[in-house]
Amino acid sequence: MIEYSEKERRMVLKLVYYGPALSGKTTNLLQLHDLLTRQGRGELMVLDTSGDRTIYFDLLPFFLTAPSGLKIKVKVYTVPGQVCHDATRKAVLQRADGVAFIADSSPAEAQSNFTSFDNLERNLALVGLDIETLPLVIQFNKRDLPQAVSEREIRAAWDPTGVAVVMASALHGEGVAETFARLAGLVYDRIDARYALTGEHGLTRDQFVRQLTSLKEEP
Amino acid sequence: MSEDTLEFLVGEEKSLRELLLDSDVLPLLEGALRAGAGGARVVNEEGEELWSESDGGGRGELLARLPLYLEGEPVARLELFGSPEQRDRLVPLASLLVAALDTLLRNNLKRVLTTEIHTCVVNSSHEELLRINADLARSEARYRELAENLELRVKERSAELKRAQARMLQQEKMAAIGQLAAGVAHEINNPLGFITSNLHTLQKYTARCCAMLQFYRERLRPDLPLQTLFEEAELKWRELKLPQVLADVGDLMAESLAGAERVSRIVADLKGFSHVDEAGEVRVDLNQELERTLGVLSHLLAGRAEVVKELQPLPPVTCQGQLPGQIFLNLIQNALTHAGGAPRITLSSCFDGERIRIGIADNGPGVPAALRGQIFDPFFTTLPVGSGTGMGLAVVWEAVLRLKGTIAVADAPGGGADFIITIPAKKE
Repeated sequence: MIEYSEKERRMVLKLVYYGPALSGKTTNLLQLHDLLTRQGRGELMVLDTSGDRTIYFDLLPFFLTAPSGLKIKVKVYTVPGQVCHDATRKAVLQRADGVAFIADSSPAEAQSNFTSFDNLERNLALVGLDIETLPLVIQFNKRDLPQAVSEREIRAAWDPTGVAVVMASALHGEGVAETFARLAGLVYDRIDARYALTGEHGLTRDQFVRQLTSLKEEP
Repeated sequence: MSEDTLEFLVGEEKSLRELLLDSDVLPLLEGALRAGAGGARVVNEEGEELWSESDGGGRGELLARLPLYLEGEPVARLELFGSPEQRDRLVPLASLLVAALDTLLRNNLKRVLTTEIHTCVVNSSHEELLRINADLARSEARYRELAENLELRVKERSAELKRAQARMLQQEKMAAIGQLAAGVAHEINNPLGFITSNLHTLQKYTARCCAMLQFYRERLRPDLPLQTLFEEAELKWRELKLPQVLADVGDLMAESLAGAERVSRIVADLKGFSHVDEAGEVRVDLNQELERTLGVLSHLLAGRAEVVKELQPLPPVTCQGQLPGQIFLNLIQNALTHAGGAPRITLSSCFDGERIRIGIADNGPGVPAALRGQIFDPFFTTLPVGSGTGMGLAVVWEAVLRLKGTIAVADAPGGGADFIITIPAKKE
């Protein structure tokens, strides 16, 4: 957690979209920005890129207020996926409250997925986070690819681990909000007891998730 | 990444004051005054005034209040004051001001975030480099230590090897002396055998002579007739076979004396060869040393090998007396070992005014060119295992070195090996 001030009645959470290069992390954020209502979210900030590739990070902030008046700000970051930006990934991962791992469904990228996940595990350990307890959602993106690895195969591999898996096609906006909602729910579960969100602040899990992910009304 | 190197936490909340400078905001507010506004200010959410500019003649009415957003969150308000008559002009001006401030804020935030993460990454990379550098320095120190130890160990091993080699050389010398002693013993034993045998014969002859003398002493009395004595003496003389004895005794004596002389000559050769009586350096004639070596090897050479001598007068050489003998003995023995059924050994010497050159050639198979670099190495031998120590020529090499000379092997004319020793010398 970035910040929590009882006095100022303010909480700042950090969620990180991790994953191999070109798996669609920034696309996820762009889609979230387009899909969700203007109310409750800030502007998407895309820091300098190099040839359309993220080299620092992207940031999309969300806001909600608990019935108690506690202001909660959720900052969603992407990390650069390219191997060479490892130091940046570590810096962004510091004090994260949850991670969405965006995997590439193309069979050719299986190795990249594995390498990146391995890198996530190592970097989490380096910044003092425990992958066993940290809220984690895995999104298999690019389901629209004709050669995509079958969902059955993915489920067979991941379901035994108990990690939440979401199928997505970020380019078409599918699975993007669901991934974010799943992650938000897990984060709520993690912090509810400690910060008495339900008890003192009157904020239920459902309210928390719904306020963060309310979709725009279809025109 | 350790806690103390991470100066920035990505995502930390920024205040407006951190992102906007006076020099960013005040010119814009001043611009509003010049455009006709009575006053302009930025106030945060708590109502605290952050920046403010106003005309001397009072601010006038509040005409516009517009929010400023940071990361999508309203953090402050821009308030514009002026006379109500100018509302139509000043309200759009306020929108313009907010748009300018928003753009400034967004760009400054981007710059600050970029700078922060850049600094963070540079710091951690630097930290990493320092760590790698320290690791490298440690590993370099370890390797250097290893290398130093290695040198020491190699030195130790070399010294050990040298000691072993010196021991082998000494053993070889002792073995050569042993062989020599056996040969010499045989040489001495021969004449000693017949001297002893002759002495036994002479002992018997002397007894007969004594018996004859005893006979005369007993019979030579005045009362006995001389005729009788003469006849009896003649009878006794023949009985004792004294005519043969007298004929033999001269030969026996001469033979024994010759034998004794031979023994004393062998001993003299040996003494001369070994220089056993001399301490330190002496002046030696290498031709004489060659002759002495032939002398002590006579038991091996006599009747079995042909020795050809082509010796020219040489100036004396000052050296440890036993060195030339060691060289010649080993080379001649070597020649005999390799020369086969009918060995012919050619000894030559000459002096060119600066160097003495001695050649010892044989009619054996010679030394193949490929082996010429190795034959002087310790333990090198072409003989079957157990037949030679491989130290003979190493002893020669060492001795030649101590004479400040050189040794090389060439092809002898008509086949065979020709060992050529060159030793510096001065004219008499």
